[in-house]
Amino acid sequence: MSLKKQDEMDHNAWLKSQDLTVIETAFLTTLIWLDKRLRIVDYLELLETMYYRANLQMPKSHTEQYDLDNKFWYWYPLYSLGSLSILAYLVAAVSGALLGFYYSPSTAGAVAQGDPTAAYDSVIEIMQDVQFGFMLRSIHRWSAQFMVAAVFLHMLRVYFTGSYKEPREVNWILGIVLIGLTLLFGFTGYVLPWKQLSFWAAQIGVEMALATPLVGEWAAQLLFGGFTLGQATLVRMYILHVFILPFVVTALIALHVGIVWVQGIAEPH
Amino acid sequence: MTDDTHTPTDSSGTATEYRAMTDGGTDDQARTDGGPPATVPPDDETPTWTERKERRQGLSQLTYQYFERSRREDEDLRAASTYVERDVLGFPTWPHETIRNLAISSFFVGIMLLVSALLPPHFGEPANPGVTPAIILPDWYLYWSFGLLHLDPINPEIAVLGGDKVMSDELYGLVAHGVIFGIIGLVPFLNKGSARRPVEEPFWAALGVAGVIFSVTLGVLAIQNLVPIGLDLLLNLVFLLPVLGGIVTYAVLKTMREGYMYDLNRRYYMLRPPK
Ligand code: HEM
Repeated sequence: MSLKKQDEMDHNAWLKSQDLTVIETAFLTTLIWLDKRLRIVDYLELLETMYYRANLQMPKSHTEQYDLDNKFWYWYPLYSLGSLSILAYLVAAVSGALLGFYYSPSTAGAVAQGDPTAAYDSVIEIMQDVQFGFMLRSIHRWSAQFMVAAVFLHMLRVYFTGSYKEPREVNWILGIVLIGLTLLFGFTGYVLPWKQLSFWAAQIGVEMALATPLVGEWAAQLLFGGFTLGQATLVRMYILHVFILPFVVTALIALHVGIVWVQGIAEPH
Repeated sequence: MTDDTHTPTDSSGTATEYRAMTDGGTDDQARTDGGPPATVPPDDETPTWTERKERRQGLSQLTYQYFERSRREDEDLRAASTYVERDVLGFPTWPHETIRNLAISSFFVGIMLLVSALLPPHFGEPANPGVTPAIILPDWYLYWSFGLLHLDPINPEIAVLGGDKVMSDELYGLVAHGVIFGIIGLVPFLNKGSARRPVEEPFWAALGVAGVIFSVTLGVLAIQNLVPIGLDLLLNLVFLLPVLGGIVTYAVLKTMREGYMYDLNRRYYMLRPPK
């Protein structure tokens, strides 16, 4: 018995016996290399299914099938508003991640009242020194505005097409939570540059929190890090804006769209 | 067929016969491949499903009962239905749907980039806790919320309490938010049924239009010091304009509905003229 490893399936020999182009050889070599390690052949079936899924026929909608387009075509673009919210959200996420490389959530550096802080200066730096930084900030701000607008209009289209009705109440409620969180996203982002309006918007926020009965002071401390604004406020707004809200909102959007998938779109009739 | 090895070969002569029969697909005797049965029959220890269900109590039993009802309902509906399965009438995902979606997406992203390039964002003074700015404003999408906080002139003062307000003005604004979100959340529980078009439900459409106008007028209230209208008049407008918009919407939709009915009636009378 030889010590040499028995290789019943000598794939390399098989490869050599084929008459293959360079590309084919490279492809198969990679495939074999990966398959030896990860056994991707086991997942081939899944891949195949995915391939056929991508070549699926999307069923005609009720309106298309029964040729009601002449009555309803003007509603149709409004059905893309939910997707447009997601699109704007994605653009905001990407540009926001890039802004995050340069922004620093700190109120340090102000000697006297009204002096620029580190946060303020970092935004100035983004706008003046960073390559493409001005455009980046512009994109981030505008995509946020587009997202809010799209969400609001999406809500109106759901309302005026009666799409919130009976089996879809859960998604309506979820949508209310989503629009609230979207606005909170905007609010926390507005505070971050720590300019005059940021500061006084946050000031109104603290006053509102404090006015809440029973939990007021607790809420003010949790959200704003105290009763007067400062470093703690800025960091909390920052963590909300770049850490907590992105996870929560992304998860809820996935759930929201998942429910639409399961329930099917409510079509006009 | 590849099941030669599994074909029962108690008498070797029948093996080929079996193959011939299965190939034709006309086997009236159902046969397994010859292996053991796929499921293990329950022994005395294993409760059957019925027994399991009966042993259950309380909530899990209710769950079972409801599931069974609902499954039966499904089956009944399916049995009663005249629906015929058809091939999907549709458009291919690739390229039709994909290209359309890509076009819409690129258009929208393009518009966003264009607007970002044309209208650069404003940047203000650094924060100064010592100086309250003349105009405190959030972004436009929070104007309505800011307007709700400016409702303090109509925060009721209770005469019995010697003119004291029951709530602080801030709390009053917060409660207003709660009321608005609450009303929006209640909508699907109040309005049910299969109507979808605004003409079908003029009241709800009117309510929606009133809500939209209200969100705008509240936004104007938020910038009241920039609006050249007296506060009293402005407050009245904030509440009257939405009502007015609602009434107009209601009237328009009702009229449209009458119009549809008129068309239907006219067609009916043309076919069957009244004597
Ligand atoms: C972050 C915000 C939101 C995102 C990303 C989002 C996304 C979507 C998407 C992609 C759809 C599929 C249909 C369409 O695009 O029109 C949808 C449907 C729906 N959305 Fe939203 N949505 C959001 C906010 C809201 C809000 C604020 C509401 C209402 C309060 C809402 C209620 C609904 C309902 C009821 C449906 C089902 C409509 C139908 O079946 O026709 N959503 N959403």
